Amino acid sequence: MKSAIETKDRRGTFYLKPSKFGLVLIVAFMLSVIFAVFLGSEKLHFSHLTPLQKQILFEIRIPRVLLGIFVGASLALSGAGLQALLRNPLAEPYLLGVSSGAALGTIISFALSFNSDISRSLFAFLGASLATFSVYNMAKSKTGMSIERLALSGIIVTTLLSSIIVLLTSLLDSTKLRSFTFWLLGDLSQATRHAFLFVLIVCSIGLLVLLSQARALNLMMIGEKDAFDFGVEVARVKLLVFITSSALVGVSVAASGSIGYVGLVVPHLVRLVVGSDNRYVLPFSALTGAIFVVFADTLARILIPPRELPVGAITAIIGAPMFIYLLKRT
Amino acid sequence: MRATFSLKEKRFFLLIFCIALLQACFDRTSSDGESRNFIDDLGRPVSVPRKVERVVSLAPSLTEIIFAINAEDKLVGVTTFCDFPEEAKKIEKVGDTIRPNMEKIIALKPDIVFVSTASQLEGFTKSLEQNGVRVYVTHPRNLESIFHNIEVIGEILDRSDQANQLVMKLKERVSTVENKTKLLPKPKVFVQIDKSLFTVGRDSFITDLIVKAGGVSVTANVDSAYPKLSKETALALNPDVIILTDSYDNDEPNEVFINSEAVRKGRVFKINSDVLSRPGPRIVDALEQLAEVIHK
Repeated sequence: MKSAIETKDRRGTFYLKPSKFGLVLIVAFMLSVIFAVFLGSEKLHFSHLTPLQKQILFEIRIPRVLLGIFVGASLALSGAGLQALLRNPLAEPYLLGVSSGAALGTIISFALSFNSDISRSLFAFLGASLATFSVYNMAKSKTGMSIERLALSGIIVTTLLSSIIVLLTSLLDSTKLRSFTFWLLGDLSQATRHAFLFVLIVCSIGLLVLLSQARALNLMMIGEKDAFDFGVEVARVKLLVFITSSALVGVSVAASGSIGYVGLVVPHLVRLVVGSDNRYVLPFSALTGAIFVVFADTLARILIPPRELPVGAITAIIGAPMFIYLLKRT
Repeated sequence: MRATFSLKEKRFFLLIFCIALLQACFDRTSSDGESRNFIDDLGRPVSVPRKVERVVSLAPSLTEIIFAINAEDKLVGVTTFCDFPEEAKKIEKVGDTIRPNMEKIIALKPDIVFVSTASQLEGFTKSLEQNGVRVYVTHPRNLESIFHNIEVIGEILDRSDQANQLVMKLKERVSTVENKTKLLPKPKVFVQIDKSLFTVGRDSFITDLIVKAGGVSVTANVDSAYPKLSKETALALNPDVIILTDSYDNDEPNEVFINSEAVRKGRVFKINSDVLSRPGPRIVDALEQLAEVIHK
């Protein structure tokens, strides 16, 4: 559609008008939700549901779709926030060790037999924050924090935490290992109501917090010094975005394990379409992340019924080639 | 037409004959006429010497079998998971079933290593063979194949009498159970291995166990041995009986079963996971326990 094309940048990428893109996303979102609600390992006759089918629909399938929406939104938001902050499109919760921190937190909570959702989410948040702050402090130097130092610290923390996770899961016995391997790859089936509630609350607050910092993030993308000159409290914004991202990843991982590639591919795709204005990138990433995870989880549920695949395997299979394609395009 | 051979051809045949003769001689000396050939559960040929004195077991079920046929004196290495019977704990450990220690196994100089597919060691089996270690792989799919494993291990370890007697006794107990449950109604059974709905599928011997115990496994047609079932299907299955293996974090049925027949009628039972999950002699104990609880 010609009218949809608003601007054209130097490289020849066509940007879509945000309102049009928003509309496209909302339609895609509705389609993916309908797709997800209508399909599953059990066939439901929607014209006349038996009590059992009602139970399947309202107590299992719809809650799971809702969880997918908010987990997807949280992960994409966290990725978008960190990428804006680091001015590095490759940055994402995984690269910075935030997800590994959250996963380790959850496993420690499990190993200590704290199995309530509150303790799991809290430990995951603590793990994510701890990882983020170690990265943050490792990267800080007298000359300020360079992007390279930050990314490198992220890699160190990620590999260290992953090794600890491997060590801990090796010490657990094999029966525990099976569900852990599944959970580590991302699994939306094990979340409880409370875990979902945490994701919902943190996702909503996180979106608002990040949106409130969108203008500051826009300025910081030009350069931290420039942003400072424009009156942005750089340190405060950084802290806020880091904490919010940790919380978003923490509750998501506690509820559904580590679902990869969402925080990486989604904001990248969104920026390609609407440009890098964070006032649009953040909410559109949330919506696109929701679509991506809901779609991937539907595949995970219907590909080998009545068995299930870990949704993280699907997001990686879709996400990796997509990311390579996006990378080649830019 | 009369066949005529030239001198050259005659010499050639003579040479072939000599080679064949020589080969036959060497064959005999190399095996000493003592080697026995077996085909293991994966269809691999395994040539075993007449006398097997040093054995390593890489599965708790196989260790239990070896003890049950009184061949434990030959057992020089077991896994850290081999905790039954009590004496098994005293035998040299070669690592767990997931990561056995290659160096230790080779150092023990076993005549044969027994591996079970239950521990998924295909890759390890290959590297053991490359290091010149003889490996026999068991693949227990049902009660019959577990009994077959006991008999073959008995034969390999020169304990055939004990093995055959053990199998006979076990088979008697199985028929007792079958006779008892034959005329009883067949309840729908769900086995919950873990709260995230890992269960027993088509290829698990536990599925066969449930049938022999006079029940019907609701997941008997699900692919693979230990599939993870979707919650939707689990809810729709509505089992009459739920069996929990008593492992960690598996103390109650998944919440999808709250309104199932099993939970409403209080027919949720725990069975020791070692007894139920090890395809060894104690599997018949599991069968008896299963038969008792699913007809309670």
